[in-house]
Amino acid sequence: MTQNKIDDWALHAYVDNEVSAEQRAEIEQHMRTDPELAQKVDAWRRQRELLKQAYDGVMGETLPPSLAATLRTGGSLAARPYLAMAAAIALVLLGGLAGWFMAQQSQRLDVADIARDALFAHQVYSAEIRHPVEVKADDKAHLQTWLSKRVGTPFTVPDLTVEGYTLLGGRLLALGGKPAALLMYEDIEANRISILLTSQDVDSETALHVEQRGKLVACYWRDGKLGFAVAGDMARDPMMKLAKIIYDKFES
Amino acid sequence: MDFRTQLAGELPPLRRFARALCGDAALADDLVQDCVERAMTRSHLYDPDRPLRAWLYAVLRNLYISGLRRNGRSTIVKNVDDLIDGEGAVPPSQEERLSVGSVSAALDRLAPQHREVIVLVGLEEMSYRDVSEILGVPLGTVMSRLSRAREHLRQILEDRGHTVLRRVK
Repeated sequence: MTQNKIDDWALHAYVDNEVSAEQRAEIEQHMRTDPELAQKVDAWRRQRELLKQAYDGVMGETLPPSLAATLRTGGSLAARPYLAMAAAIALVLLGGLAGWFMAQQSQRLDVADIARDALFAHQVYSAEIRHPVEVKADDKAHLQTWLSKRVGTPFTVPDLTVEGYTLLGGRLLALGGKPAALLMYEDIEANRISILLTSQDVDSETALHVEQRGKLVACYWRDGKLGFAVAGDMARDPMMKLAKIIYDKFES
Repeated sequence: MDFRTQLAGELPPLRRFARALCGDAALADDLVQDCVERAMTRSHLYDPDRPLRAWLYAVLRNLYISGLRRNGRSTIVKNVDDLIDGEGAVPPSQEERLSVGSVSAALDRLAPQHREVIVLVGLEEMSYRDVSEILGVPLGTVMSRLSRAREHLRQILEDRGHTVLRRVK
């Protein structure tokens, strides 16, 4: 950088205290000879003051009673009216869509159908805020017995805690005239993934495949009498990795 | 210090962040509520080597984004009362030309990815590195967004400053 051309980024870093003492001295030297630099710095500092004046007051406000209660009791779900309303609307809209999507399914299920079904099901049910599942995770034993029985092949609901996902629960679906199971998980940031299990007519085994639809990705495979698909809103690579882990969990 | 005590200490800045991020007091309260519930029920996912504040900000910001994705932008449209009353209860300082409401209105005019950067850096004084982790973007992206955000905000505030000045004279 020449005498009066200090990099804008360096100047931002200076305002945000991201520079060393040495850089600081150098920048201040430039500012003394270049009023334009000093003006920029002033303008940005003034923005900070304005933001603080506008929002610092929030820190002194009394906590809402529900928040104080959560802090005391440790995070049971409190009622949130705006979510309930949004969920109700979504339920009505998506209920219609779900019917349409399901009606589109053909009679026969092949491997690629599993991926498509998983993507549609994920799209429809993961958007449900309050009712993403029929049977919740706190009834996991029942969920597992019930869905195993319906799908016709016993399976174990995988534990994905180590991977950062908590089980929300599951639901029964009807795909191509057959019962299928949908398990849903959620990470700390409310990102959801679904696992779809369907029973297969033929006993067979396939490798992992990937299918993408917009921002949603599904990984799917067949193993024995079951077809599997994992769907979620994430990039292909982390999805492949996650699917491999889930594959291993179903194997063991 | 146990997790709950630590968490309680982070609530004031977390609430300020939420308010400035979404610009709506009721939605901000809901986001903080949701964020704290998640933090408490899933504290095992927190890496104690990272600052708790940065983790909470990341969780809250993701809840905000997934809320927007699920419900469309309609949930953050303010109601008329909010617009009339202004956002917070901060008394303006003697020389202050810009009210709380106009700062909030200025933020509303920024692109969402500019707003979050300027709130995290300018208001919350998070390090560039923490911001890059919270947003899940490289450091260079944080800096270029910050640069654009500050330039845009400067223009918005200048426009407003002038109109207010003219009215005062």
